[in-house]
Amino acid sequence: MEKNLAHIALFAALIAVLGLVPKIDLASGVPITAQSLGIMLCGTVLGAKRGALAVLLFLTLTLAGLPLLSGGRGGLGLLASPTVGYIIGFPMAAFTAGLITTHLKTGIGYAATIGAALGGILLLNAVGVLGMSVMLDKSLPEAALLAAPFLVGDSIKAVLAGAITQAIAKMRPEALLSRA
Amino acid sequence: MLTLTSPIDTWAHRLPAGPKLASLCGFTMLLFALNAPASLTLAAVFTTALIASGGHSFAGQSALMLRPLLPFVLIVALWHLILRDPSGITIILRMITAVAAANFVTMTTRLSDMISVLQRFARPLARLISPRSLALAIALTIRFVPTMLARAQSLGESWRARSPSRPRWRIFLPLTLAALDDADHVAEALRARGGTD
Amino acid sequence: MSNGITLDKTSVTLAGRVILSDLSLRLTEARIGIIGRNGSGKTTLLRLIAGLIPATSGRITIDGFAPTDRKAILPRLGILFQNPDHQILFPTVGEELAFGLRQMGQSQTQAEAAARDLLAAEGRRHWFDANTHSLSQGQRHYLCLLSVLLMAPRTILLDEPFAGLDLPTQARLARRLSALPQRLITISHDPAAVAQCDRILWLESGRIQADGPAAEILPAFTTAMAQIGERDADTDLAD
Repeated sequence: MEKNLAHIALFAALIAVLGLVPKIDLASGVPITAQSLGIMLCGTVLGAKRGALAVLLFLTLTLAGLPLLSGGRGGLGLLASPTVGYIIGFPMAAFTAGLITTHLKTGIGYAATIGAALGGILLLNAVGVLGMSVMLDKSLPEAALLAAPFLVGDSIKAVLAGAITQAIAKMRPEALLSRA
Repeated sequence: MLTLTSPIDTWAHRLPAGPKLASLCGFTMLLFALNAPASLTLAAVFTTALIASGGHSFAGQSALMLRPLLPFVLIVALWHLILRDPSGITIILRMITAVAAANFVTMTTRLSDMISVLQRFARPLARLISPRSLALAIALTIRFVPTMLARAQSLGESWRARSPSRPRWRIFLPLTLAALDDADHVAEALRARGGTD
Repeated sequence: MSNGITLDKTSVTLAGRVILSDLSLRLTEARIGIIGRNGSGKTTLLRLIAGLIPATSGRITIDGFAPTDRKAILPRLGILFQNPDHQILFPTVGEELAFGLRQMGQSQTQAEAAARDLLAAEGRRHWFDANTHSLSQGQRHYLCLLSVLLMAPRTILLDEPFAGLDLPTQARLARRLSALPQRLITISHDPAAVAQCDRILWLESGRIQADGPAAEILPAFTTAMAQIGERDADTDLAD
């Protein structure tokens, strides 16, 4: 019980920290923030339920007024902004990533990459685009155009989430709760 | 930790958090029900007046908090100009007003007050997560964000001390491992002092 | 009800490696030092006594209670971790201090009042709302000690209590500790840290190498460590 609580709280902090570290040059000269990598890792490392709870805890603090979302954003305004779909999609993404990592019977690296991609890219963008379409009063394909430029960075992050999860499985197998 | 609550004390800081949140809820629903540019303009003027009542620097702060909306404003404006569709004004006006009003509540409510309202909302969920555990989890996260941020910075410094390039994704693995280690230590420290039940 | 800590043929195996083997001990003295080099099993012994890890075999009791009986253990045993960042759980000093008392069944108001009283008695009244992250290393260490003392356990386990502290802080902490009425069990690799103890246990490869008064054990330990140091012994890997 203490262990669950500690993991949920510490990974909520990890999401925040990944969003606050200065932008990182991923490949040559493509700066990205790593916050959605944190969302993916919550699922692939902690598993579906704990991962989603960590994201919910992170969102609770962000909405309550801590500027923990990348770019120092936070507060209730997030719920009224065009990106509200991504906020709603975050815990769903972590849950899906965790579910797939736990149940897909391939190597841990592949399972985590696929989980991160399906949860953290496909599902997250589906909900995010739906949100933008409603908030901006645009059709779904029009809203999807706005999300498209970020797909390259997202794909790199899904591969990273897989690699990091695999490294944890190798170095600290007992800590990988998604496969415990 | 730095919060979004404005250090500039306004009259709205002294209102209780619950009613403020309830009014925000009602106001936002009203905004999305309105479609006439005239009534939306009225709502926008009302919100502007609210923000202006906090004084010059308070209004400046709230304007800065609207910056993330800028790309969306530009895109929608451009789109509707090309299509010569005047409904863009309604969309932009509603978006900015709704976000500014929500920010107003955030900026005039202390974090601890906001969290206690959220905990009151979470009380029906007590069987899923006990209020004590929720409070503990919130405190732990607030405690560890600066600690982990400092660690991310020192990992970055240790990178730069040995590399000409900026830190790349490789610092994410030690950072994640450190979060797992911290979680183990926190679990032990919790257990040593009476656990979560 | 028996007083003190007893280990009865206790062993601990972690990930297939025997860390502690077949320890039988009865610890009743007021000041006990456990000494050993890195990897001798002393930290595992501390975690075992604190109830943070279970014994693989054998039995251990604290004043007659099993370490797993958390409710009974809290007023009997406290632990000061080596690294304050592994112990401090809360953003503010007040919350950190009040937590243990809340866990022992006090109300929030009672716990906060007790925390304020203690800080006032320590001349640190202004610490209550301070951010734990902004305290210095020595101050964080001191806060950890205060939060243990507030729970008034009969025995306190100290894990390398002086490591990483500057000399004035070490002196202040040593003075504070020596005045405590509690039983103290200090774990260290440094003979100086346990020089004032009534009884010294020298741990080597998970077994008791020697057990006796400080004047007898510590010189032998220091000589042995110097000999090992000359042999360049830290080239071996654990596995």
